[in-house]
Amino acid sequence: MHLLDIRNLTIELNTGDHVIRAVDKVNLSLKEGEVHALVGESGSGKSLIAKALMGVLNERWQVTADRIHWQGVDLMRLPPEKRRKLIGKEIAMIYQEPSSCLDPTAKIFEQIAESIPEQGLSGYFWQRKKQRKQRATALLHKVGIKRHTKVLDSYPHELSEGVCQKVMIAMAIARSPKLLIADEPTTALESTTRAQIFRLLKSLNQLKSMSILMISHELAELNDWTHGLHVLYCGQMVEAGPSKKVFGSPKHPYTQALIKSSPEHNVALEHKSELYALKGTIPTLQHLPIGCRLGPRCPQAQKDCVATPQANDFHGHTVACHFPLSQK
Amino acid sequence: MLRQYLVRRLTLLFFMVLLLSLFTFTLSYLFPGDVSTNLSGIDSAGFNANDQITEKYKLNENYLLQYFAFIQHIVNGDWGLSLASGQPVFEHVKTLFPATVELALYALLISILIGIPTGVIAAAYHKKWQDHVIYTVTLFAYSTPVFWLALILIMAFCLQLGLLPMSGRISLLFEVEHQTGFLLIDILLSNNTYKQAALIDAFHHLLLPSIVLATYPTAVLVRFTKDAMLDVLDKSYIKSARAKGLNHSQIIFHHALRNALLPVISQIGLQFSTLITLAMITEVIFSWPGIGAWLINSIYQRDFPAIMGGLLTVSLFVIIATMIADILNTILDPVSRNRSHGQV
Repeated sequence: MHLLDIRNLTIELNTGDHVIRAVDKVNLSLKEGEVHALVGESGSGKSLIAKALMGVLNERWQVTADRIHWQGVDLMRLPPEKRRKLIGKEIAMIYQEPSSCLDPTAKIFEQIAESIPEQGLSGYFWQRKKQRKQRATALLHKVGIKRHTKVLDSYPHELSEGVCQKVMIAMAIARSPKLLIADEPTTALESTTRAQIFRLLKSLNQLKSMSILMISHELAELNDWTHGLHVLYCGQMVEAGPSKKVFGSPKHPYTQALIKSSPEHNVALEHKSELYALKGTIPTLQHLPIGCRLGPRCPQAQKDCVATPQANDFHGHTVACHFPLSQK
Repeated sequence: MLRQYLVRRLTLLFFMVLLLSLFTFTLSYLFPGDVSTNLSGIDSAGFNANDQITEKYKLNENYLLQYFAFIQHIVNGDWGLSLASGQPVFEHVKTLFPATVELALYALLISILIGIPTGVIAAAYHKKWQDHVIYTVTLFAYSTPVFWLALILIMAFCLQLGLLPMSGRISLLFEVEHQTGFLLIDILLSNNTYKQAALIDAFHHLLLPSIVLATYPTAVLVRFTKDAMLDVLDKSYIKSARAKGLNHSQIIFHHALRNALLPVISQIGLQFSTLITLAMITEVIFSWPGIGAWLINSIYQRDFPAIMGGLLTVSLFVIIATMIADILNTILDPVSRNRSHGQV
């Protein structure tokens, strides 16, 4: 059974005079123990999908979907309070600016202690503080923080971004969730810490068989350890499928352009020659093109592209394009 | 870290007090009339006495020595005599000032007890009917002049309904020994048989003035708390706390309130100067024997030593109150605790 199964998720912003469709009929499904990546430029609606799933979007955003199934339970039909409880127990999320996601006036211990579930503790409430401390220390060790006494006694502004992100991960795994959504967890970090965080997430996935939904724009770093890859452009899912297939033989012009523009792909490039980039920029939300949203920038665009393309399934590799690239 | 901060703050306090005393000292020259009269409060004394005053305030020496002599007398509690009453100014201040502080503190207490919870409610029910009702009421409280409100309340509760006394601190029937100057504490300290009755009477007297005085700061606090709460509720750590699975009240009480109250505390400190100004008007209307009414009277009577003394006391009080609020804010706020420079 799918752990998470989303069909036709649409997220709209009502601005008063007209409705902007920021995410357009996105499908996404994820099995237990899998790592999936949502890839796309900034502004393509990656974070919106994650936030809609967690239910932390503002009231300004309108979320509709044919279904959002979590282990067979339709989240759209649950009352908000029940939904919050279910999500809080089973899904955790880490964010791109960890230090701003921690309460500046509370010590790290308090914040970790809050996310430790009550059910795991025994005895009366005065015996629980010690257990919480032990659990918090163990969690910090698990995410690779050795100086636990110092960190537990610190305020967020006294720690570096990398440590804050590790604390966020510690808080996220405190309830041993089935799914961890990581919203660009490494953007604010330097490269050595970034590698640490990736290793940590990888090991969490392998040892605890925790599913991970990575939101990122770093294709190259994701390719070798994610099971599935979903490429978004302007709120439309352009290509989705097993990472190897999508990365190795992209069928959508946008995915191809994305891979071609990555520095790793251009290693053999001649000195001072131009890097490959798709012409134009990502359109603003107020001026989205009709039909295939890539249309105006697409090198392969033809007359048919003014109609929204249907997703075509090639053995689990879906492509939303009228003229998918034929591979060698 | 904290000690360094406190040292900086106290240095700042020292310089502000220095400036204040300098200003007060120059007033004796800026006021019309004789400098010796303005300083000592003794008008048209004989030759002998005049020499004594000149000697006492070193009026023949340069300004610096005069200033030091002035400071020395201020510190020793010799603030000159009031021109109007002929009594020492310091004695007046000693008896009158606690009454003002008492009134202001109770008003502040009321406004904190009502203002902050109301602000939190308004933020929690943002854009719902509760919020609209609170907004409308604060708008009225905001824009109602103090004297008008005081007169309306006197008309309603004292003259029409006869429920509350309309002036003074306590009924003349009760005699309370002056110990701390704070009436309620004095009553509790005294050994009279009518202790309880006196306490109730003092409460009755206190009720209307403190409500009138609390109206404006309450409205300010409601607005400020609401804005601070809304600001904090929009922060990403609230979203991540929500994603952690905490419920609405846990988020408000564990995360939002603590962060939102920090700016509110410094706001309370800033409210003190407004509060004292409003207290002056309230005191005049309710014949409250406080320093505000006395200061206004002194200004009418051109009682210069009294004006100087009153000014010094009130300003000093406001400065110290602001400073205390600021230090409190720093002690409670872990982020600003590391701020290296003091500011006012």
